[in-house]
Amino acid sequence: MKPKTFLPGILLLPLLAFAQRGAAPALPDWSGVWQMVGPTVFDTSTVEPPNGRAGDPGVRERPPYNAEWEAKYQKNIDAIRRGVMPDPVNTCGTPHGFPRVMNLPDVYEFAVRPEQVWIIGENGPNILRIYTDGRAHPAPEDMWPTYTGDSVGKWEGDTLVFDTVSSKGFRDEDVIVDRTGLVLSEKLHVVTRMRKIDDTTIEAQMVLEDPVALKSPWRVTKRYRRQPAGTRVYDYSCAENNRNPVTATGKTLTLGSDGKPIDKVVD
Amino acid sequence: MKSRTLAFALAFLSLASLQAVLLGHHSASMFDNTKVMEISGTIKEFQWTNPHVWIQVNVQSAAGVKEWSIEGGGPNTLSRQGWRPTTFKPGDTVSFRINPMRDGTPAGLFVGAKFSDAKTLGRWEAQP
Repeated sequence: MKPKTFLPGILLLPLLAFAQRGAAPALPDWSGVWQMVGPTVFDTSTVEPPNGRAGDPGVRERPPYNAEWEAKYQKNIDAIRRGVMPDPVNTCGTPHGFPRVMNLPDVYEFAVRPEQVWIIGENGPNILRIYTDGRAHPAPEDMWPTYTGDSVGKWEGDTLVFDTVSSKGFRDEDVIVDRTGLVLSEKLHVVTRMRKIDDTTIEAQMVLEDPVALKSPWRVTKRYRRQPAGTRVYDYSCAENNRNPVTATGKTLTLGSDGKPIDKVVD
Repeated sequence: MKSRTLAFALAFLSLASLQAVLLGHHSASMFDNTKVMEISGTIKEFQWTNPHVWIQVNVQSAAGVKEWSIEGGGPNTLSRQGWRPTTFKPGDTVSFRINPMRDGTPAGLFVGAKFSDAKTLGRWEAQP
Protein backbone atom coordinates (compact mmCIF):
# COMPACT_ATOMS: atom_id res chain seq x y z
CA MET A 1 0.00 0.00 0.00
CA LYS A 2 1.40 3.40 -0.97
CA PRO A 3 1.52 5.82 1.94
CA LYS A 4 -0.26 8.53 -0.17
CA THR A 5 -3.43 6.45 -0.58
CA PHE A 6 -3.51 5.29 3.02
CA LEU A 7 -6.31 6.75 5.07
CA PRO A 8 -6.50 5.77 8.71
CA GLY A 9 -9.75 3.94 9.50
CA ILE A 10 -10.74 6.57 12.03
CA LEU A 11 -10.95 9.17 9.23
CA LEU A 12 -13.15 6.87 7.16
CA LEU A 13 -15.79 6.43 9.86
CA PRO A 14 -17.44 9.86 9.43
CA LEU A 15 -17.43 9.35 5.67
CA LEU A 16 -19.16 6.00 6.07
CA ALA A 17 -21.72 7.49 8.43
CA PHE A 18 -22.39 10.30 5.94
CA ALA A 19 -22.80 7.76 3.14
CA GLN A 20 -25.31 5.82 5.24
CA ARG A 21 -27.30 8.95 6.04
CA GLY A 22 -27.39 9.73 2.37
CA ALA A 23 -28.82 6.30 1.62
CA ALA A 24 -31.51 6.38 4.32
CA PRO A 25 -32.20 9.67 6.11
CA ALA A 26 -32.31 9.38 9.88
CA LEU A 27 -35.88 9.03 11.09
CA PRO A 28 -37.11 10.91 14.15
CA ASP A 29 -37.33 9.15 17.50
CA TRP A 30 -41.02 8.74 18.36
CA SER A 31 -40.37 5.91 20.81
CA GLY A 32 -42.10 5.78 24.17
CA VAL A 33 -45.75 5.93 25.21
CA TRP A 34 -47.98 8.88 24.32
CA GLN A 35 -51.42 10.11 25.31
CA MET A 36 -53.69 12.39 23.33
CA VAL A 37 -53.99 15.85 24.88
CA GLY A 38 -57.54 16.84 25.84
CA PRO A 39 -60.87 15.05 25.73
CA THR A 40 -61.99 12.70 22.93
CA VAL A 41 -63.61 15.62 21.10
CA PHE A 42 -62.24 15.50 17.55
CA ASP A 43 -62.13 19.27 16.93
CA THR A 44 -61.65 20.91 20.33
CA SER A 45 -61.22 24.32 18.63
CA THR A 46 -64.92 24.46 17.63
CA VAL A 47 -66.59 22.43 20.38
CA GLU A 48 -69.69 23.97 21.98
CA PRO A 49 -69.84 24.51 24.92
CA PRO A 50 -66.08 25.25 25.01
CA ASN A 51 -65.20 22.49 27.50
CA GLY A 52 -67.93 20.10 26.34
CA ARG A 53 -67.25 16.38 26.52
CA ALA A 54 -68.12 14.04 23.69
CA GLY A 55 -71.25 12.09 24.55
CA ASP A 56 -72.79 14.67 26.87
CA PRO A 57 -76.19 15.85 25.62
CA GLY A 58 -76.05 18.94 23.37
CA VAL A 59 -72.27 18.97 22.87
CA ARG A 60 -71.26 19.61 19.24
CA GLU A 61 -68.51 20.84 16.95
CA ARG A 62 -68.70 23.07 13.86
CA PRO A 63 -67.28 21.24 10.85
CA PRO A 64 -67.95 23.05 7.53
CA TYR A 65 -70.84 20.67 6.75
CA ASN A 66 -73.19 21.16 3.84
CA ALA A 67 -76.90 21.23 4.74
CA GLU A 68 -77.45 17.51 4.10
CA TRP A 69 -74.62 16.40 6.42
CA GLU A 70 -75.38 19.04 9.04
CA ALA A 71 -78.83 17.38 9.16
CA LYS A 72 -77.22 13.94 9.63
CA TYR A 73 -75.07 15.35 12.47
CA GLN A 74 -78.12 17.03 14.02
CA LYS A 75 -80.01 13.73 13.90
CA ASN A 76 -77.19 12.06 15.86
CA ILE A 77 -77.06 14.96 18.35
CA ASP A 78 -80.81 14.53 18.94
CA ALA A 79 -80.38 10.75 19.37
CA ILE A 80 -77.67 11.38 22.00
CA ARG A 81 -80.13 13.66 23.86
CA ARG A 82 -82.68 10.81 23.83
CA GLY A 83 -80.07 8.24 24.93
CA VAL A 84 -80.41 6.16 21.76
CA MET A 85 -77.13 6.93 19.95
CA PRO A 86 -74.91 3.93 20.62
CA ASP A 87 -71.19 4.14 20.05
CA PRO A 88 -70.51 1.68 17.18
CA VAL A 89 -67.38 0.41 18.97
CA ASN A 90 -69.69 -0.92 21.68
CA THR A 91 -70.08 -3.89 19.31
CA CYS A 92 -66.86 -5.51 20.42
CA GLY A 93 -64.28 -5.81 17.67
CA THR A 94 -65.49 -2.86 15.59
CA PRO A 95 -62.47 -0.66 14.76
CA HIS A 96 -62.75 3.06 15.53
CA GLY A 97 -61.81 3.83 11.92
CA PHE A 98 -60.05 6.84 10.40
CA PRO A 99 -59.86 9.67 11.46
CA ARG A 100 -61.19 8.56 14.88
CA VAL A 101 -58.07 6.42 15.33
CA MET A 102 -56.26 9.76 15.89
CA ASN A 103 -58.75 10.62 18.68
CA LEU A 104 -58.55 7.71 21.13
CA PRO A 105 -58.54 7.58 24.92
CA ASP A 106 -55.86 5.55 26.76
CA VAL A 107 -52.36 5.66 25.19
CA TYR A 108 -50.54 5.42 21.85
CA GLU A 109 -47.29 4.03 20.49
CA PHE A 110 -45.73 5.17 17.21
CA ALA A 111 -43.56 2.56 15.49
CA VAL A 112 -41.34 4.19 12.86
CA ARG A 113 -39.48 2.20 10.20
CA PRO A 114 -38.14 3.48 6.86
CA GLU A 115 -40.77 1.53 4.92
CA GLN A 116 -43.77 1.99 7.21
CA VAL A 117 -45.16 3.75 10.26
CA TRP A 118 -47.65 2.10 12.61
CA ILE A 119 -49.88 4.19 14.86
CA ILE A 120 -50.91 1.80 17.63
CA GLY A 121 -53.78 2.72 19.91
CA GLU A 122 -54.09 0.84 23.20
CA ASN A 123 -57.83 1.48 23.18
CA GLY A 124 -59.65 -0.82 20.83
CA PRO A 125 -56.92 -1.86 20.15
CA ASN A 126 -56.53 0.05 16.88
CA ILE A 127 -53.76 0.14 14.29
CA LEU A 128 -53.24 2.66 11.48
CA ARG A 129 -50.70 1.49 8.91
CA ILE A 130 -48.96 4.17 6.86
CA TYR A 131 -46.83 2.90 3.95
CA THR A 132 -43.73 5.05 3.36
CA ASP A 133 -41.97 2.75 0.88
CA GLY A 134 -42.93 4.85 -2.12
CA ARG A 135 -46.11 3.00 -3.06
CA ALA A 136 -49.24 4.84 -4.17
CA HIS A 137 -52.86 4.14 -3.21
CA PRO A 138 -54.27 1.07 -4.99
CA ALA A 139 -56.09 1.65 -8.28
CA PRO A 140 -59.79 2.45 -7.73
CA GLU A 141 -60.83 -1.01 -8.89
CA ASP A 142 -58.44 -2.58 -6.35
CA MET A 143 -59.64 -0.54 -3.39
CA TRP A 144 -62.79 -0.72 -1.27
CA PRO A 145 -63.78 1.34 1.77
CA THR A 146 -62.46 -0.04 5.07
CA TYR A 147 -62.67 1.33 8.60
CA THR A 148 -59.17 2.86 8.60
CA GLY A 149 -58.86 3.34 4.84
CA ASP A 150 -55.56 3.37 2.93
CA SER A 151 -52.66 5.57 4.02
CA VAL A 152 -49.47 6.27 2.07
CA GLY A 153 -46.88 8.81 3.07
CA LYS A 154 -43.35 10.16 2.94
CA TRP A 155 -40.91 11.94 5.19
CA GLU A 156 -40.24 15.65 4.61
CA GLY A 157 -37.31 16.06 7.00
CA ASP A 158 -38.68 15.29 10.47
CA THR A 159 -42.32 15.53 9.31
CA LEU A 160 -44.38 12.49 8.30
CA VAL A 161 -46.81 13.57 5.58
CA PHE A 162 -49.48 11.00 4.81
CA ASP A 163 -52.51 10.81 2.62
CA THR A 164 -55.57 8.77 3.62
CA VAL A 165 -58.48 7.73 1.38
CA SER A 166 -61.06 4.94 1.21
CA SER A 167 -62.17 5.04 4.85
CA LYS A 168 -65.65 3.66 5.34
CA GLY A 169 -67.35 6.77 6.67
CA PHE A 170 -70.99 6.70 7.78
CA ARG A 171 -72.15 4.52 4.86
CA ASP A 172 -73.20 1.61 7.07
CA GLU A 173 -73.81 3.86 10.09
CA ASP A 174 -71.09 2.03 12.04
CA VAL A 175 -68.33 4.64 11.98
CA ILE A 176 -68.49 7.93 13.86
CA VAL A 177 -65.62 10.40 14.29
CA ASP A 178 -66.36 11.06 17.94
CA ARG A 179 -69.12 10.56 20.46
CA THR A 180 -70.77 13.92 19.72
CA GLY A 181 -72.11 12.04 16.66
CA LEU A 182 -69.73 13.53 14.06
CA VAL A 183 -69.82 11.66 10.74
CA LEU A 184 -68.02 11.88 7.39
CA SER A 185 -68.49 10.14 4.04
CA GLU A 186 -66.46 7.43 2.32
CA LYS A 187 -65.19 10.13 -0.09
CA LEU A 188 -63.12 11.64 2.73
CA HIS A 189 -59.54 12.55 1.77
CA VAL A 190 -57.17 13.60 4.53
CA VAL A 191 -53.62 14.91 4.40
CA THR A 192 -51.93 14.64 7.79
CA ARG A 193 -48.62 16.32 8.71
CA MET A 194 -47.17 14.75 11.83
CA ARG A 195 -44.10 15.99 13.65
CA LYS A 196 -42.47 16.01 17.08
CA ILE A 197 -42.70 19.70 17.97
CA ASP A 198 -40.72 19.32 21.22
CA ASP A 199 -39.29 16.45 23.23
CA THR A 200 -42.62 15.62 24.86
CA THR A 201 -45.14 16.53 22.14
CA ILE A 202 -46.07 15.04 18.78
CA GLU A 203 -48.51 17.08 16.71
CA ALA A 204 -50.74 15.90 13.86
CA GLN A 205 -52.14 18.65 11.62
CA MET A 206 -54.96 17.22 9.52
CA VAL A 207 -56.68 18.78 6.51
CA LEU A 208 -59.93 16.96 5.81
CA GLU A 209 -61.64 17.27 2.43
CA ASP A 210 -64.95 15.54 1.83
CA PRO A 211 -66.80 16.57 -1.35
CA VAL A 212 -69.92 14.74 -0.15
CA ALA A 213 -70.15 16.12 3.40
CA LEU A 214 -68.05 19.31 3.64
CA LYS A 215 -68.31 22.69 1.90
CA SER A 216 -64.61 23.49 2.45
CA PRO A 217 -61.47 21.89 3.91
CA TRP A 218 -61.65 21.26 7.65
CA ARG A 219 -58.40 21.76 9.59
CA VAL A 220 -58.03 19.82 12.83
CA THR A 221 -54.92 19.54 15.03
CA LYS A 222 -54.35 16.74 17.53
CA ARG A 223 -51.48 16.59 20.02
CA TYR A 224 -49.99 13.67 21.92
CA ARG A 225 -47.94 14.01 25.10
CA ARG A 226 -45.10 11.68 26.09
CA GLN A 227 -45.85 9.63 29.21
CA PRO A 228 -43.28 9.00 31.97
CA ALA A 229 -40.40 6.66 31.06
CA GLY A 230 -41.25 3.06 31.83
CA THR A 231 -45.00 3.48 31.24
CA ARG A 232 -46.53 0.17 30.19
CA VAL A 233 -49.25 -0.49 27.63
CA TYR A 234 -51.81 -3.18 28.40
CA ASP A 235 -54.31 -5.47 26.70
CA TYR A 236 -57.67 -4.01 25.85
CA SER A 237 -60.48 -6.47 25.38
CA CYS A 238 -63.96 -5.12 24.83
CA ALA A 239 -65.37 -8.64 25.10
CA GLU A 240 -63.80 -9.45 28.48
CA ASN A 241 -66.62 -8.04 30.61
CA ASN A 242 -68.90 -5.86 28.49
CA ARG A 243 -71.75 -4.97 30.82
CA ASN A 244 -73.12 -2.32 28.46
CA PRO A 245 -74.60 -4.08 25.42
CA VAL A 246 -76.79 -2.20 22.93
CA THR A 247 -80.39 -3.13 22.10
CA ALA A 248 -81.85 -3.29 18.60
CA THR A 249 -83.28 0.22 19.06
CA GLY A 250 -79.90 1.69 20.05
CA LYS A 251 -80.31 1.90 23.81
CA THR A 252 -77.14 1.14 25.81
CA LEU A 253 -78.07 -1.19 28.67
CA THR A 254 -76.43 -1.67 32.06
CA LEU A 255 -76.08 -5.25 33.26
CA GLY A 256 -75.95 -6.29 36.90
CA SER A 257 -73.30 -8.68 38.21
CA ASP A 258 -75.67 -11.53 37.33
CA GLY A 259 -75.53 -10.53 33.64
CA LYS A 260 -79.17 -9.38 33.53
CA PRO A 261 -80.17 -5.79 32.61
CA ILE A 262 -80.87 -3.62 35.62
CA ASP A 263 -82.48 -0.85 33.53
CA LYS A 264 -86.15 -0.21 34.39
CA VAL A 265 -87.03 -0.05 30.70
CA VAL A 266 -85.00 -2.36 28.49
CA ASP A 267 -86.26 -1.19 25.10
CA MET B 1 -35.53 9.60 49.57
CA LYS B 2 -38.54 7.81 50.97
CA SER B 3 -40.33 11.07 51.67
CA ARG B 4 -39.53 12.29 48.14
CA THR B 5 -41.10 9.15 46.74
CA LEU B 6 -44.12 9.69 48.95
CA ALA B 7 -44.38 13.32 47.90
CA PHE B 8 -44.23 12.28 44.26
CA ALA B 9 -46.89 9.62 44.83
CA LEU B 10 -49.16 12.14 46.55
CA ALA B 11 -48.65 14.69 43.78
CA PHE B 12 -49.41 11.97 41.22
CA LEU B 13 -52.56 10.86 43.02
CA SER B 14 -53.83 14.41 43.48
CA LEU B 15 -53.30 15.01 39.76
CA ALA B 16 -55.08 11.77 38.98
CA SER B 17 -57.96 12.75 41.20
CA LEU B 18 -58.65 15.79 39.01
CA GLN B 19 -59.43 13.58 36.07
CA ALA B 20 -63.07 12.84 35.46
CA VAL B 21 -64.03 9.26 34.76
CA LEU B 22 -63.97 8.65 31.04
CA LEU B 23 -65.94 5.88 29.46
CA GLY B 24 -63.84 4.96 26.44
CA HIS B 25 -66.13 2.27 25.24
CA HIS B 26 -69.80 3.22 25.31
CA SER B 27 -72.31 5.99 25.67
CA ALA B 28 -72.67 7.21 29.26
CA SER B 29 -76.16 8.55 28.67
CA MET B 30 -77.69 6.22 31.27
CA PHE B 31 -75.87 8.13 34.02
CA ASP B 32 -76.97 11.61 35.15
CA ASN B 33 -73.71 13.57 35.27
CA THR B 34 -75.50 16.62 36.69
CA LYS B 35 -76.10 14.72 39.95
CA VAL B 36 -73.68 13.27 42.50
CA MET B 37 -75.10 10.95 45.16
CA GLU B 38 -73.35 9.21 48.04
CA ILE B 39 -73.73 5.59 49.10
CA SER B 40 -71.86 3.56 51.73
CA GLY B 41 -71.57 -0.18 51.92
CA THR B 42 -69.47 -3.31 51.95
CA ILE B 43 -67.46 -4.38 48.91
CA LYS B 44 -68.86 -7.61 47.48
CA GLU B 45 -66.63 -7.84 44.41
CA PHE B 46 -64.22 -5.67 42.40
CA GLN B 47 -64.18 -6.63 38.73
CA TRP B 48 -60.78 -5.45 37.41
CA THR B 49 -61.74 -5.98 33.78
CA ASN B 50 -61.88 -4.40 30.34
CA PRO B 51 -63.50 -2.46 28.92
CA HIS B 52 -64.49 -1.03 32.32
CA VAL B 53 -63.97 -1.89 35.97
CA TRP B 54 -67.04 -2.55 38.14
CA ILE B 55 -67.39 -2.32 41.91
CA GLN B 56 -70.21 -4.38 43.45
CA VAL B 57 -71.28 -2.91 46.78
CA ASN B 58 -73.81 -4.23 49.29
CA VAL B 59 -75.68 -1.29 50.79
CA GLN B 60 -77.71 -1.79 53.99
CA SER B 61 -80.93 0.15 54.53
CA ALA B 62 -84.10 -0.27 56.59
CA ALA B 63 -85.52 -2.28 53.69
CA GLY B 64 -82.62 -4.74 53.73
CA VAL B 65 -79.41 -5.18 51.73
CA LYS B 66 -79.33 -3.99 48.13
CA GLU B 67 -76.44 -4.62 45.70
CA TRP B 68 -75.22 -1.57 43.77
CA SER B 69 -73.10 -1.69 40.59
CA ILE B 70 -70.56 1.13 40.17
CA GLU B 71 -68.88 1.48 36.79
CA GLY B 72 -65.42 3.02 36.47
CA GLY B 73 -62.98 3.75 33.64
CA GLY B 74 -60.79 1.14 31.95
CA PRO B 75 -58.20 -0.71 34.04
CA ASN B 76 -55.32 0.38 31.78
CA THR B 77 -55.69 4.12 32.35
CA LEU B 78 -56.82 3.63 35.96
CA SER B 79 -53.66 1.61 36.68
CA ARG B 80 -51.58 4.56 35.43
CA GLN B 81 -53.55 6.76 37.87
CA GLY B 82 -52.61 4.54 40.82
CA TRP B 83 -55.52 2.06 40.92
CA ARG B 84 -54.74 -1.65 41.42
CA PRO B 85 -56.80 -4.87 41.35
CA THR B 86 -56.58 -4.78 45.17
CA THR B 87 -57.86 -1.18 45.52
CA PHE B 88 -61.29 -2.44 46.67
CA LYS B 89 -61.13 -5.64 48.75
CA PRO B 90 -64.21 -7.77 49.50
CA GLY B 91 -65.46 -6.96 52.98
CA ASP B 92 -64.03 -3.39 53.03
CA THR B 93 -66.42 -0.64 54.09
CA VAL B 94 -66.26 2.20 51.56
CA SER B 95 -68.29 5.32 50.79
CA PHE B 96 -68.79 6.23 47.14
CA ARG B 97 -69.87 9.32 45.25
CA ILE B 98 -71.47 8.41 41.93
CA ASN B 99 -73.42 9.85 39.00
CA PRO B 100 -76.58 7.78 39.48
CA MET B 101 -78.58 6.00 36.81
CA ARG B 102 -81.25 8.31 35.38
CA ASP B 103 -83.96 5.68 35.94
CA GLY B 104 -83.21 5.25 39.65
CA THR B 105 -81.92 1.69 39.47
CA PRO B 106 -79.08 0.80 41.88
CA ALA B 107 -76.08 1.63 39.72
CA GLY B 108 -73.91 4.61 38.89
CA LEU B 109 -70.72 5.99 37.41
CA PHE B 110 -67.73 6.29 39.77
CA VAL B 111 -66.88 9.84 40.88
CA GLY B 112 -64.92 9.27 44.10
CA ALA B 113 -64.43 6.94 47.07
CA LYS B 114 -63.59 7.37 50.74
CA PHE B 115 -62.09 4.41 52.61
CA SER B 116 -62.52 3.60 56.33
CA ASP B 117 -59.06 5.09 57.04
CA ALA B 118 -60.30 8.41 55.52
CA LYS B 119 -58.08 8.09 52.41
CA THR B 120 -59.90 9.15 49.25
CA LEU B 121 -59.73 8.23 45.57
CA GLY B 122 -60.99 10.12 42.52
CA ARG B 123 -63.01 13.31 42.89
CA TRP B 124 -64.19 12.92 46.47
CA GLU B 125 -64.43 16.69 46.88
CA ALA B 126 -67.11 16.93 44.17
CA GLN B 127 -70.17 18.15 46.06
CA PRO B 128 -73.22 15.89 46.28
